[in-house]
Parts: sequence; structure tokens; C-alpha cells
Amino acid sequence: MTGAVGWQIRRPSVLPGFGLTLGITLTWLSLIVLVPLAALAVKATGLGWSGFWSVASDARVLAAFRVSFGLSLAAAAVNAVFGLLVAWVLVRYRFPAKRLVDALIDLPFALPTAVAGIALTALYAPNGWVGQPLLDWLGVRVAFSPIGIAVALIFVGLPFVVRTVEPVLQEMPPEEEEAAACLGASRFQTIRYVVLPSIFPALMTGFALAFARGVGEYGSVIFIAGNMPGLTEIVPLLIVIKLEQYDYAGAAAVGTLMLLASFVLLLILNLLQSWMRARHVR
Amino acid sequence: MTIRATGITKRFGSYTALDSVDLTVEPGELLALLGPSGSGKTTLLRILAGLEFPDTGHLELDGIDALEASPRERKVGFVFQHYALFRHMTVFDNVAFGLKIRPRAERLPADAIRRRVEDLLELVQLAPFAKRYPTQLSGGQRQRVALARALAIEPKVLLLDEPFGALDAKVRKELRRWLRSLHQEMHITSVFVTHDQEEALELADRVVVMSQGRIEQIGTPDAVYDRPASRFVFDFLGQVNRLPCAVSGGVARLAGGALTVPAVGDPAQGDAVAFVRPHDLGLVPDGAGLAQVTAVTTVGPMARVELALAGETLEAEMPRGQWAGLGLAPGARCGLAIEQVRVFPR
Repeated sequence: MTGAVGWQIRRPSVLPGFGLTLGITLTWLSLIVLVPLAALAVKATGLGWSGFWSVASDARVLAAFRVSFGLSLAAAAVNAVFGLLVAWVLVRYRFPAKRLVDALIDLPFALPTAVAGIALTALYAPNGWVGQPLLDWLGVRVAFSPIGIAVALIFVGLPFVVRTVEPVLQEMPPEEEEAAACLGASRFQTIRYVVLPSIFPALMTGFALAFARGVGEYGSVIFIAGNMPGLTEIVPLLIVIKLEQYDYAGAAAVGTLMLLASFVLLLILNLLQSWMRARHVR
Repeated sequence: MTIRATGITKRFGSYTALDSVDLTVEPGELLALLGPSGSGKTTLLRILAGLEFPDTGHLELDGIDALEASPRERKVGFVFQHYALFRHMTVFDNVAFGLKIRPRAERLPADAIRRRVEDLLELVQLAPFAKRYPTQLSGGQRQRVALARALAIEPKVLLLDEPFGALDAKVRKELRRWLRSLHQEMHITSVFVTHDQEEALELADRVVVMSQGRIEQIGTPDAVYDRPASRFVFDFLGQVNRLPCAVSGGVARLAGGALTVPAVGDPAQGDAVAFVRPHDLGLVPDGAGLAQVTAVTTVGPMARVELALAGETLEAEMPRGQWAGLGLAPGARCGLAIEQVRVFPR
């Protein structure tokens, strides 16, 4: 097949197995990702355009989307800031029980999300250890409010940022910062102009992963959210509610919408990231 | 700027990197810190820059105590072995960095910064590369960018940590020459660290030879080469033949007394080791001579001759023409002509 056609996918290479690995990759992706998602879309078409539109424009659905995507973005942003800080501390300093702290970071990965949700709810409920003082002194209600959802999403999203930023930070040579200091940069300027631009692509990846996780999160949120329609109801819960009412097509429609929105947002994040990479790190 | 460091000691855990080092750098001179790895030369340089802090000791820059001062207050330009360029900035932005981040009151206007950066890039012969990123440059070009970046802030001292260490031999030589002429033009007080004796001898006004956290000798390149103060310095500055000998009355008896040569150094009396460089070892064709040629290799213009003398192996070095003129071949016997040896305690 080489050379016969005007354009070539395959070029002579010292890395053999391109055809084989690409074939397996595509088959695998189709089986694991594409087919289930396509089935979802097919199910949603059962409603027809007008049915689909009436689901999509339903106030309760729109509110759930606002809650899910808005709070996921907010939680990912908070995680980007504090996850960066955690990664920084873990990479740059030595302190007692560092290994222990390091292991703690991964707990949200491993813990069943329902367990996390129940624990957080118990803590932040109006009569909980943290929730009560917050309510009494600051008048802030955490559990059963959008803040509670954000807290749960921050909890599950933290390791994504820490674990993506950590290796990049680790590989950053200290000489670049020393060079900046010798050139007269203050500590703040060094971090602002030298460190942050170098790790920004990794930070974006962490942000995107935390965001994606937040959008799909179900277990931890439903306990702490209070699930008031239009206020603290997230999209995944709405889907489950529709399923419980045997509204399979409606559930599939909401699922498809969610899929589309997530895809578009992640695509934007990815494009932004490759643009940054092209501009900053060569 | 005059740099005066006194009693500088630095430990890393139980390891002593610098052991009460005293050093004075005169204004405008180009000084080399020369030593094997682990001799403390880089640590000393980093202490001068303010990137490392000594456990004890004093540091004065132009007579002012500088240990408390940050790198920015010391006004040093530092060039790293692995360039340490900002990867996400273009060549232009790298060089401009030190000028752009100054407090607003001290900062030059934008077009003045641009002119200054362009001048510097011209100076390091990289003007056409202003828009490139560091990874798009060769090692030699990157190091020149690093130098331009360090010079941009008009430092009072230039500190260079193995500046040519990561470059290949040819580029290293070019860059060395270029740095020498740059120094002659700008007369900026400069200290560079190297483990390459040739580099130190060729480039520096004065050489500081270091070993195990101590200064072994300070002197001009000729002084440290011709009159090494210790066997370490003798050893480190080039190839050397070591021969056991007995010294008395300014004369060393080599090869069990069969060869007598004028000797300088310590001890003046008794058993010692005689040090002689391969190029100071002259050969004389002599069928009944003391030494025997065992092997010859030619490296470029030089011939390296391996000799056996009373059970010891020696190396002599001479131009190839001279070797050919002697008419010797492996297996032949020859006499030795040595003007002088330097002796050290055994």
C-alpha cells in the first residue's frame, strides 16, 4: 500500500506495528466508549426532535445543568488553586509524615463516593461538627445547599490536580528559579513569570480532569446536596429520577445533552491547552 | 568589584564541602576555580552569588558585608552549566527578563529595553535568533543566550558555573576564545568554575586550584603549572610521571641511583617521589641506555612514547618530527635527559 496513493498514513518507520496498534486502539475505543455512547444517543432519538426539545428546554433540566456545570467549574477552579499549593508543598519541602500526607491525597480516588458523601454530610450538616459553627457564627449553610455540592466536588477532584501537576513540578530544574533570582526577580515575580507558565499546561489538564469528574459525580453529591429541584439538583440525579419514573427516553435525552455539553467543554479546554503548549513550552 | 571571602565553611550533613576557605578576587580579573568534582568549587561560586549560604565565614563585596544580601542586591550575573534558560520564553524575552521585571521606578522604557536586548544579541552573535525558543538552539547558542541574559542587568560580577561543561570540544574552544575577548573588552570581574585544567590555564588571569573543600594553590596559570605547591596540584594540572628517588644536596637519584637529576621542592634530604611531566622527559638514542621503549602512539602532531625504567613505566611526549629524528623503535634502548624534577615527600 505504500507509495501507491497520493497521501500516506503509513511512513517507513523504526517503530513497527502502527497498523496493528491503531487497529486494536480503534476497536477497543469503539467497544468501550463509542458503542455505549451511541446507544445512548439512539435511545434518545426515540423522543423525536420535538420531544427532545421539550426535555432540553424544561426549566428543571436547565437548572440542573446550571448546577452541575457551574459548580463543577467552580470546584475545579478551587482545586486548581489549592491542588497546585498541595503539589508545591509535596514537591518542594521536606517535613515529617510527608509520605502519609502524600497517601492521603489519593484517598478520594479510592473511597466509595457514597461513603465520602455521607461523611461530608455528617460533618457539614447544620448539627455537624463543622456545619454547626459555620451556621452559628457565619450564617453559612453548607450541607443541603449549592456550597455543599461544591465541597463534595472539591473533595473528589483534588487528587486530579495534585497528581497531574506534581510530576511536572518535580522535573522543573531549580536552576530556572535561581536564574530568575539572580536577574533580580522577587519571589512573587519568579513564580508568576517563570514557574506558573511552565506548569500551566499540566494545571489545565488537572483542571479539566477535575471538572470532568465533577460533572459525572453522583454518589458523594446526592447525600450532601439536599436535591431540591431547581436549586440543588444535579443532572446525574435528574437522570436517575427519570429512570425511576420509567422515562427511559427522557433520561437518555438528558444523558445525551450532558454528553454533548461535556464534550464541547473538554474540547475547548483541550484546544486551549494545545494553544498554550504551542505558545509557551517548546 | 572586589570580592573578599574569609573563613568560608559549608557542610552538607556530615560532608564538608568547604573548609575555611579564604579568597580575594581583584577588580576586573578573570579568575578560575579549578578542581575535581566534589572539591567545593561550585559551592563556593554559589555562595558568592547568594544562592547558597555558608555555615561560618564572611563575604565582602567592595568592602561591604554581603552575606545577608540577596542575589538581586549583590548585582551578580550567574551563568549555569545547563544554561537554565526560561523554556517558555523566546530568546529575546529571556534576555529582556532582568530588565522587564525591575520596579517601575528603575525600569527602562520599553523601546530602550528593546534596543539594549538587540545590542546584547548582536554582541553574542544571535540577533537572527531573537524569536526562537531555547529548545530550537544548539548548546553553544543557548549558553551565549544565557550569557547575554546575565549581562543584561549590567552585573558587577559575572559568575560562571562550568559554562562550557555541557558543550562539545570544538564549540567549547570557540566559546572560550570568545569569552576571553569579551572579558578583555568589558573588564567585568569574573569568576568561573571548571574541572578542565586546559580551560583554566588558557582563560584565566589567576587560577585557584581546589581539592576536598580547600584551596591548594592560587596563582597565575604559569605559576601553578611551573611551580605547583603540592603533589595534588602537580597531578591535577597535567600528565605526570612519578619515580621513587633519594634526594641529597639538591640532587635526586633515580632508578636506584643510576640517574642523577637536579631536584627542587621538599624534602631536601632523604627518600622522596620525583615528579616529571612527559614533555620534560628527553630521549637520547643510546644502545646501552637505562630505559627501553615499549610502545609508541601518535595523537595528531604528538608522539607518546612509553618507556620502561628500572621496573617503572614512564611516558614521554614530543612532536612527531622530533620522535622520527631519534630513529628509535619499540624495543630499542635509550638514555634519558631530564633537566629538573620536582620532589615531594614519599
